[in-house]
Amino acid sequence: MTAHRPSRLLSVFATLFVLVWMVTAGFPFLWTAWGSFKVEPDFFSRVDWTNALTGVNTVRQTGGAFTGDGYYGAWVLNDFWAAALSTAIVTVATVTLSLILGTLGGYALARSGYRYAFWILIVALIFRAMPHITLVSGYLVPFFELNIWGTLTTSIIVLVAINQPFTLWMLHSFFLSVPRDLDEAAMVDGCTRFQAFRTVILPVMWPGIITTGLFSFLLAYNDFAVTAMLLRQDNQTMIPKIASFLGSIQNEGNVMFAVSSVVSATVPLFLLVMFFQRQIVGGLTAGAVKG
Amino acid sequence: MAEINLKGISRRWGDFVGVDDLTLHIPDREFLVLLGPSGCGKSTTMRMIAGLEEVTEGEIWLGDKMVNRLEPKDRDISMVFQSYGLYPNMTVYENIRFPLRIRKVPKDQHHERVMKAAEMVELTGFLDRRPAALSGGQRQRVALARAIVREPNAFLMDEPLSNLDAKLRVSTRAQIANLHHTLKTTTIYVTHDQVEAMTLADRVVVMNKGVAQQVAPPMEIYDRPANTFVASFIGAPAMNLIEGEIAGGTFTSPVLRVEGLPHPVSGPVTLGFRAEDVEVVSEGGNLSAPVYSVEKLGDSTMFAIRAKEDMIALKAGKAADMEIGETVHARIPPGACHVFGPDGQRVEAPGL
Repeated sequence: MTAHRPSRLLSVFATLFVLVWMVTAGFPFLWTAWGSFKVEPDFFSRVDWTNALTGVNTVRQTGGAFTGDGYYGAWVLNDFWAAALSTAIVTVATVTLSLILGTLGGYALARSGYRYAFWILIVALIFRAMPHITLVSGYLVPFFELNIWGTLTTSIIVLVAINQPFTLWMLHSFFLSVPRDLDEAAMVDGCTRFQAFRTVILPVMWPGIITTGLFSFLLAYNDFAVTAMLLRQDNQTMIPKIASFLGSIQNEGNVMFAVSSVVSATVPLFLLVMFFQRQIVGGLTAGAVKG
Repeated sequence: MAEINLKGISRRWGDFVGVDDLTLHIPDREFLVLLGPSGCGKSTTMRMIAGLEEVTEGEIWLGDKMVNRLEPKDRDISMVFQSYGLYPNMTVYENIRFPLRIRKVPKDQHHERVMKAAEMVELTGFLDRRPAALSGGQRQRVALARAIVREPNAFLMDEPLSNLDAKLRVSTRAQIANLHHTLKTTTIYVTHDQVEAMTLADRVVVMNKGVAQQVAPPMEIYDRPANTFVASFIGAPAMNLIEGEIAGGTFTSPVLRVEGLPHPVSGPVTLGFRAEDVEVVSEGGNLSAPVYSVEKLGDSTMFAIRAKEDMIALKAGKAADMEIGETVHARIPPGACHVFGPDGQRVEAPGL
């Protein structure tokens, strides 16, 4: 028997389909990245959309086909660097805290023989399903009373709280896929419960931790509801900052600041996913098969 | 090295009784096998000794220490798991070394002790592999090496051979027997396989529904089962058990009549006899019934004959040749018979 081969027509069609799909999916980002190096009259040209490609006004205004004005205006003149720094602090702290609480809690729930572990997880799921803004409105009064409104620490705490149900669920199912015998072998071999967790269970959990960490990262990084409400002008994170570029009174070039900021904010995500892709895929499938 | 004492230990979950009031004295250097069907409490007993399961009632003593409240790590025992429980992120060498590392044994002893343990289970060629790159038999040998490397007070083995194929099971079994002979460490071994129990044990504890049915050396369990449960659990095939009446040394049932029994009882009883004690005769005998199935085992032939509702197993020589449906005559010598009272307990014959 010869191996079955798809007909030539079918494979040409399939290749074309994938190409068209990739271009369609990637187009908005490529268009924005390209346009971020133009001036506003080009990127938002009402005369001719090809101006965004050729950059007629950009050449007229700056003398070159590409300009870094949007980036310069956003990062230097409008302190986007400060927003980037805030985002870095908030995301790193949120991911770290979420993972510490999530691994400890997920492990405890996965190894608990009691029924209430199940109910804790169900409650966690309900909290996860709530819109983020509900939690923030609940925090309004106590945060004002405590006078901790507008600090990075507060938004970190809120983001961790919003994120925790999800990390608990995810890590719980990863821990369930690690056989209990492993903990017990380690404890008989001379570990305390915590040593068994640290020296034996965590090392085989890395794919799960990285995957969960990435999702926590995305939540904190992309958050708008919490950070826009909680933070002040001077310690805003990137996403509310971009929104303020778009929303404030229309000055010439303001929109281009937003466009260049958006591109700046996307780059780290690409790098991150590319760097961890093997672990993420491993983690997702491991959870899918055994979780 | 230590003896182990279980003083009336029980394990209950709500209404469910896992182990019920078990008392056992395990002297130093003994190889004790806990044998029973699944769910009989044998693994729970072992896990309580290891400290992985709480004791509801009773006391566990290792040597002169009451260990009920001690963590597993403080009990100085080592355990081999059915699923091996190897650390997948470590090499074989690191797996074996782990107990030494975690217990802060002086570093300069590590290499020598790991190599010695690896040698005993013939693993020296695989030390830099990960468990994933080993066969099932090799993995279980790593688990054994990890258990012996730190010379604990006692070994606990929880069905260590159950995940291996039949051939490996025999060779690994021999290895465990040899290890125990060399190390002479008190060993408690859990299994549902009576062959493992018979071949390895100094003493066997047959358990059912959380209760120890009989505690005795393997041959005594085989020759003098304490009750009908043990009689039907031990031996392949299980002992034939026929219900009937006994009076004046004569057992009668609708299918069978045995005279000359020395047992001084009368009333309803269960008569037990093993397949290999039955003689197939050409004529006469106590029993005649049609053949139900024939199994040629190579060295012998097993017959099952159907007498009314009872299925009776007979063992004959390899040359025995009978067809299904043919009538067999068999003689059951009274000396090979066991008698169990209406409560299922063994009735001893005087003079034994």
